[in-house]
Order: sequence, then C-alpha cells, then structure tokens
Amino acid sequence: MKILLVEDNPELTQNIVEYLEQQGLRCEAVTSRFEAEDRLLAYAYDCLLLDLMLPDGNGLQLLEWLKSNAIPLPVLIISAKNALDDRLRGLDLGADDYLPKPFHLAELLARLRAIYRRAKLGGKDELVFGEILIRIQSLEVFVHQTLLDLTKKEFDLLVFLLVNKNKVLSKQSIANHLWGDYTDNLANFDFVYQHIKNLRKKITAAGGKDYLSTVYGLGYKFDEYAQ
Amino acid sequence: MRLLNILTFIYLLLTLGALLLGGIFIYWKLESEIDFEVGMELNEQIDAIAERVRQGVDPKALENEKMEILPIPLAWEEEELSIRDTLAFHAPVNRLQNQLKASKSLKINGNHYRFSYFNTVIEAEDITETVLYIMGLVLLAQLLAIGFFYRRIANRILLPFHHTLAKIQTFTFQKDQPLSFEPSKIQEFELLNRFLEKMSLKLLKDYRQIKEFSENISHEIQTPAAVVRGKLEHLMNQEITEEQAHLIHSAYQSNEKIQRIIKSLSLLAKLENEEFEAPVPLRLDELTQKNLDFLQELIQLREIRLEIDLKSGLTVPMHPYIAEVMITNLLSNAIKHNHQKGWMMVILRDQQLEIINSGHPLSKNTEDLLERFQKESSHPDSVGLGLAIVQQICKTYGFRFSYSTRDEVHHVVVNFG
Repeated sequence: MKILLVEDNPELTQNIVEYLEQQGLRCEAVTSRFEAEDRLLAYAYDCLLLDLMLPDGNGLQLLEWLKSNAIPLPVLIISAKNALDDRLRGLDLGADDYLPKPFHLAELLARLRAIYRRAKLGGKDELVFGEILIRIQSLEVFVHQTLLDLTKKEFDLLVFLLVNKNKVLSKQSIANHLWGDYTDNLANFDFVYQHIKNLRKKITAAGGKDYLSTVYGLGYKFDEYAQ
Repeated sequence: MRLLNILTFIYLLLTLGALLLGGIFIYWKLESEIDFEVGMELNEQIDAIAERVRQGVDPKALENEKMEILPIPLAWEEEELSIRDTLAFHAPVNRLQNQLKASKSLKINGNHYRFSYFNTVIEAEDITETVLYIMGLVLLAQLLAIGFFYRRIANRILLPFHHTLAKIQTFTFQKDQPLSFEPSKIQEFELLNRFLEKMSLKLLKDYRQIKEFSENISHEIQTPAAVVRGKLEHLMNQEITEEQAHLIHSAYQSNEKIQRIIKSLSLLAKLENEEFEAPVPLRLDELTQKNLDFLQELIQLREIRLEIDLKSGLTVPMHPYIAEVMITNLLSNAIKHNHQKGWMMVILRDQQLEIINSGHPLSKNTEDLLERFQKESSHPDSVGLGLAIVQQICKTYGFRFSYSTRDEVHHVVVNFG
C-alpha cells in the first residue's frame, strides 16, 4: 500500500512516515500543493493523506484538481482546522474521510486501512493472523474456525489492535477509536481495560493465543510474538 | 415605557400643574377684583343716598332692606368706608345669605349717620365653578392639541431615532455589514448615528480578530501537541524500562489534557462569537437516547441505575454538533460525578430536559462550578470546562440552565421554552 502524504510540518511528517513504514506501508511525503500535483501526475498511489493548510494554498484546491483531472484516488484529510465547513466541503469534494488534528497515529493507520479496504476491496476483505480470521464486512471473527461471540466494540477493538499489531496503543487512542469525541469528557479509561479483558478471555477460550498484553500501564499491544 | 409616552406624560403633568396654579391665581384675583368693584359700587350708592339726606329727605324714608341708616352721636369721628362679609336675611330667597356690607358714617346737616348698604355677593362656589369650568375647557383644548399635534410632531421628530433603533436590532456579526444611517437634520441624532457607525466598524474588526485568534490558537497549539503525541507514541514502542514508561505516561497524559483544554476553549470562543448559525430542528428524545446508548458501557461499568423518561417528542432548533456537545457533557457529568452503584434519572418533559443523579455533596456552590476551570477536584484529568460550555450553549440559544444540589442529589435542568 503506497501513500502520498501532503503535510508542511516536518515533525508531523516524520512521525507519520515513520509509523506507517514500521507497519509495512510505503509513504512518500511532500510539503506543498505544487509538489503533490507533480507526484500525482507521475506516479500512482493507493491513498492520499492531505493536510488542508498548505503553504501554497488550501488542500481543498488539490481535491478539486484531482477531480478535474479525473484521478481516482481515495483521500483522507488531516487538518487542524476542525471547522465543520471544511469537513463537509472536503467530504463533498470527494474526500473519503476526515481526521482532525491532533490524531493518534494508530487511528490514522486504522482509517487508512479502512479507506483502502473500501476503495480497493469493496470491503469484502479478510484479515488473517495466525489462527485468527476476521471478516470485516460481516463483523465475524473466527479462532481456529470457531466463531467468536463478540460485541461491536470488541470487534472494532480487535481490528484496531490487529491493524496496529506490535505497537503499544495508549488507552486514550483506543478509547478515542471506539467512542470518538465522547471520550473528551471522561476522566478515566477503565472501560478500555474491561473490553481488553473480555476480548482476551473470548480469544483464549476459543483456543487462541493470548496476544494482548499490557505495557506498564501505558496501554495495550497486540503482540505477534506472544507465547 | 415608550419615549413618546413619557414625553406626553410629562407634558400633561406640567400642563396640569400650570392649570392648577393659574386656577388658584385667577380665583384669587377674580375674588378680590369683584370685592373691590362691589365695594366701589356700594360706596357710590351710599354717597347717592347721603346726597338725598343732605337735600332734606328723611333718612327713615330712605331705608329699605338693603339700606340701613343709623343715627350715631355727633361727637364720634366720621367712619371711613369699610366693607365686610356678613350674614343677612335676604328677602327674595327668604333665607340668610352671605352678603357684603359696606358702611361709612357721614355728618350731614349737623346729624351723624352711619350708612350700611347690603348687597348679595357672588359666592365663592360660583367663582370656583367658573374657574374650574374655564380651566377644564383649557385642559380639553390642551389634550386635543397633544393628541392631534404634539404626539404627531414628536413622533416625526423621533422617527430617525426609531430608524436607528430598528437598524441596530438587525445588526449581526454574521452579516459582516457595518451600520450605516441616513443623515439626520437633528444634531443629536446625527451624532448618535455617526457614533454607532464608528462603533459597529470597530466591533466587526474586533470580532474578526477574535475569530482569527481563536482559529489560529487552536491550529497553532494543536499542531505541536500532535507532534508531541506522535513522538511519545514512538517512544512507547522503544525498548523502555518501567520507570521510563511512567515518565512517558505522565507526559502523554498532560499533553492529552492540553489538547482537551484547547479544544474546549476554542469551542467556547466559537460559541461566544456565535459562529454556529443555521440551526436545524432536532428531536431531543432521539439525540438523548443516542447519547445514552454511547455512554451505556460507562453507566454499566459504574453500576449506575438508570431511569429514563423520554416520551416528549420535543424539537429544538440547534446546530447538531452543539446539541450533541451539550447532551454529552450533561450526561457524562452525571456519570462521572456519580457514586459507584449510584443512580441517575434523565427526564425529557414539556419544554425541559432534567438530569438528576446521586453524587458527592458539593464543597463549592453551584454558581462557582459554572465558571471556567472550576471543578470538584476529585478528578485530576477533568478539565473543568464541561459545565461552562453547557452554560454558554444555553446562553447562545436563549435556554434557561439551572444546576442545584441538595445533599447527595444533583439536579440539572435545561429549559428550552
């Protein structure tokens, strides 16, 4: 999966590129609209990660440009301008999703994967990891061919953890992924632990390995190399 | 009270005062003038009778019910004319009547007579009546004048003022149009209009600046905060010791808190700047139910007994995002500040949403808690802006918000009426 990132903040660019490449994605970064148009004309990408505030114009203009040049490309807008107008206009202009800054890198990856699945695989894909098989569209999880009885939240949590496997996911990023803005008002994230606990129980009960581990109170990790 | 009515009222009051004073003065003047004239008349009568006595007519023959001639000792001094009020029998009406008595004595042909001449006076009541009648007429004329001319003229003079008022009322920041008025010939109004024009320009400029500031501050802080978060998330994935993990955790928590504060503050700024126009009608029961569903796990986790009554299909015109923020803030507050195994009630009835929940008794009073950054300190991660935001939302949309506590029961009411 090859990503083009259009973002003018070098630190943020570095964060994103590093994270995505560690997860096996190829990510190229440019800092301006002009450069982006250049790359898009020359190469094919699977997804465009677009910041709206660019030194040489608004990212929305790039969306219009894509449209007028008939380049079919899934777009994920990342912007600190959480103005509702921008969000709606972005989605109107054909962006696939809108992620307000500041976001969790794990959330970014999860959204990218979801967009990619929708755009390229029509949502009919399966995530396979060892004995675990996840059917995204039908919300089904099998461990050793046994169908697990998961709640929607547990399902989302498993997909989120698996997409970001081997990474420590902070409780906040998990809460944010599952409950969105609702977590803004919450004082603690104990409920994340509850879901992790339940999920772990259900997987191991079906004979799966205990992949989920706690990392010093920081967060949780789907550990590929768990014993 | 309308300006015109006040002016009319004051004008009427002054007129009445003037009429009263004028009436008293006219009464007094009229009475003394009549007395004087009557006195002169009586004096002439006495002189005429005295002349006839001088010509040799017997004084007895000259006496009648109006004229009394009394011989008095010659040695007495001649008396000057004196006029007195007296009661005397008045034959024509056959009763005692208030009469004017003029008397003076004259020495005629070696005799000394005191002539007393009686005459009925015009009664005070008659004068009062006359005065009141006249004053009444004047007042009536005044009232007619006020009704027809004064109010009309005053209205015309105040017309530019009313225009100005109407224009101010239509002024909104969203239109981004400074006020502009027709020139007025009245100096004061002209001054007012020019001042308002200048002020509206300044207001719009300030408003734009604040708006830009709130947009910029959110962007300028969010970006570095996002960088910090990313770096910390990378750091989490390095080989770290438990001690380092704690350091990272603290830094991460604080950074999250900064982001929440910035987000809340920029929302508050936007609300204050009234940036959320275009309300759409929202079903509050559906919205509340949806939010409760989202928060269901938290409610279960805290083992809170929930009672809901959302039978009212109340529809309120609001910006959907803002409505969501308001409901979430209220509900999550009721959950967050509840006891483990506590209870909460969510009632949507008539024109109001009520949330009642158990919780710790407050150490601060409820008014203080509505202030920014005020909180019951038990939650270190709570920012203390939740209620301030709800209050600002209510202010923006003109809802009534109240928060009261009694011992362990917290009671929040939002009245949309």
